[in-house]
Amino acid sequence: MLAEKALDLIRELHRTSSGTLSPYNEDKIRQVLEEMKTLFEQNKDKAHSVAEGQTDQLSSIQLRHAGIQRNKRCLLAYLYNRLEQIRKMRWEFGSVLPPDVKYNMCEQEVQWFNQYNRLLANYMRSIGESGGLDLTQDMKPPKTLYVLVRCLLDHGEFETQDGNIILLKKNSQHYLLRSECEHLIRQGVLEHVVQ
Amino acid sequence: MLVKDFKRDFYDVLQNQRVLVLVAFDVDALCACKILQYLFQCDQVLYTIVPVDGLQGLENAFLENAEGIKHVVLINCGAAFDIVEILQPEDHVRFYICDSHRPVDVHNFYNAVQVKLLMREDELSTIPSYDEVFRDDVSLISEDSGNESEDSETGYKRKRFDEESVLRRQERRRWNENREKVLFNYAKFTSYATSAALVMFELAWKLSKDTNNLLWLAIVGVTDQFIHFKTPREKYMEDIIALQSHVTRHNQRGSDDENIMSVNCLRISFEEELNLCLYRHWTLFESICHSMAIACKLRLWSLKGQKRLHEFLAEMGLPLNQCKQQFSAMESTMKPEVKTKMQEYMTKYGLVVQDVILPSFSLQYGYKNLMCATDYVLACTAVLESVDKSKHSTDNFLEASDILQRSSSEKFEAGLASAKLQLKSVVSQVQSFLDMHQIISAGPFLYVFVQEGTADSRFFAHPQCLIRLARFSLQAHCAVSRNKRAQSLPLVLGAPYNLEEGTSLVVGIPPLDTDDERKNFFGKAFEQASKSTSTTAKFHSFDSYIIEMKSEDKSKFFDALISILQ
Repeated sequence: MLAEKALDLIRELHRTSSGTLSPYNEDKIRQVLEEMKTLFEQNKDKAHSVAEGQTDQLSSIQLRHAGIQRNKRCLLAYLYNRLEQIRKMRWEFGSVLPPDVKYNMCEQEVQWFNQYNRLLANYMRSIGESGGLDLTQDMKPPKTLYVLVRCLLDHGEFETQDGNIILLKKNSQHYLLRSECEHLIRQGVLEHVVQ
Repeated sequence: MLVKDFKRDFYDVLQNQRVLVLVAFDVDALCACKILQYLFQCDQVLYTIVPVDGLQGLENAFLENAEGIKHVVLINCGAAFDIVEILQPEDHVRFYICDSHRPVDVHNFYNAVQVKLLMREDELSTIPSYDEVFRDDVSLISEDSGNESEDSETGYKRKRFDEESVLRRQERRRWNENREKVLFNYAKFTSYATSAALVMFELAWKLSKDTNNLLWLAIVGVTDQFIHFKTPREKYMEDIIALQSHVTRHNQRGSDDENIMSVNCLRISFEEELNLCLYRHWTLFESICHSMAIACKLRLWSLKGQKRLHEFLAEMGLPLNQCKQQFSAMESTMKPEVKTKMQEYMTKYGLVVQDVILPSFSLQYGYKNLMCATDYVLACTAVLESVDKSKHSTDNFLEASDILQRSSSEKFEAGLASAKLQLKSVVSQVQSFLDMHQIISAGPFLYVFVQEGTADSRFFAHPQCLIRLARFSLQAHCAVSRNKRAQSLPLVLGAPYNLEEGTSLVVGIPPLDTDDERKNFFGKAFEQASKSTSTTAKFHSFDSYIIEMKSEDKSKFFDALISILQ
């Protein structure tokens, strides 16, 4: 059916749960582009005859043209939404994306991601006092500066910013500066205890 | 040194400092620690919490974490021995000890610089005066040593010196003897003072930072002390009355409809609870069978006792099929009657009010969770002393701490389940003691051993459960014994601890007729017995009346103990 394949792409986009990126469907996109191309070729032929005064073909030309326009919109929506998703992931995961996400991106998307990365890094370096400001941290304002954490494994000694040395031993509990222990929580060394 | 003003001399000093908190393994300490945690978080005091079991654990934890630490808070540990001597801290380290164990070591009490005691002043009145235990006569000593080097002096002079020094030596000997005596009398009995949780709660109250949540923790701490036989009933009542005024203050609601609190708020109310363990979460029948006071009075381990219980229930008009299903599923008309009916008919079965009723508090939030303080303590202790081999003791500590947080009711349910297992194992062990007549009188005391390889012996490798077993056995023995003296005999109970290393735990509990004091003399007795037999008996926890020893030394040790106690 006319312009059915483009709708498939949109459906695919709709199906993927938020926070993940589906594989770039190159095959489908190529098929849609081919469809657009044949429609265009057909229109081009008919357009000559219309110009010669045969107006009975006019409505079919208009239908095909609408099909082309629709395919174009769908393709753009597909690409745009993927880019949005990638951008969101940049803020979530940081400048290095997990390999499974990267695998699902096409080459142009990788390029775009790298450029976006560069722009963001430049901007973050330019603002704030010396050394810039990491905008990706604390996306929501934290409720407290300090958090209660539990050690999940024997990590060894950990030096805080004020020069204190804390022994992170399994099952000990510490009350620490949130910014200091955030990366340890991400690594799975510490567990944040929600009160 | 005793801290007079907790706020000025303890809390304000800790502001903007990093604090190391060492917590003993009991529910009371855990509650106190939670309260302190809340206070510290209010004022953003950085802290590290390390649970410690036993003296060795305390030393290790201090060594590992002491780097850069100036302030150490010890909860329910450390008061009973010279903390500075044992830990050998640097000079700038300060110890704040909040411990309910008594007696407090005299060195801790008179150390004005490094040791601060967070305790009530009136509970330390028995401490010997400074002059009786310490002598700062440095001049005398130096003169003495000077005297010896002056041998070349003239005879006359030497004679005068000799007379003086003989007098002095005599006086010193007398003083030393007196010191020994005073110290012995002071340390003869171990007992418990106000719970650490309550002391901490009062600090929070003084800082105007007390909440209903903290109040509940204090209640749990106080209840823990009572149901693990640490404080006598009188002391418990005193604390309960003090807590009750806080409870009414925090749970005050206006009479008009507008002021009614949401059902999801935490509500604490004072109640004359039935003294049955876990009955809200169990069947009434099972709960009665596992409650110490009633089970011992009715002798529920025997067939006759079971019949008596059936009779009791029948007289109260409670059908058996109702009693043998979950209490929560009992017919709603019967549930509120249970308490009044029990009080009505108890005298016929020789029960007194103390056996049946325990003034306590219950906590409610939401529609589902109504919990009694004693249930809470039992669940928490069972988790703390979990028998799961795969878990380290510190895992248990954190889990018990989660239960106190009340974050998930599933964890609490799991705690209740293991508490039931623990109670069941205690009761069946007591039954087998009685059936096999294993409780034997050694003259000055009774003794009994849990045989190695008993199915439930893993439960008894933990102090609180061991104490519960000892107490239950003693009470049950007194109930069946024809010997009039049984009431005035203490009990020593041994249980296998570590089969690979061949060690056992031994606990001594005081006789029943001194129950209104709950003072224990076994700490000193064990110490002397192990000294005279030169066996290595080390303190298992911070309670001196529980020791860990090699199983092969047992008979030697007991002979010594008999001769000491005679």
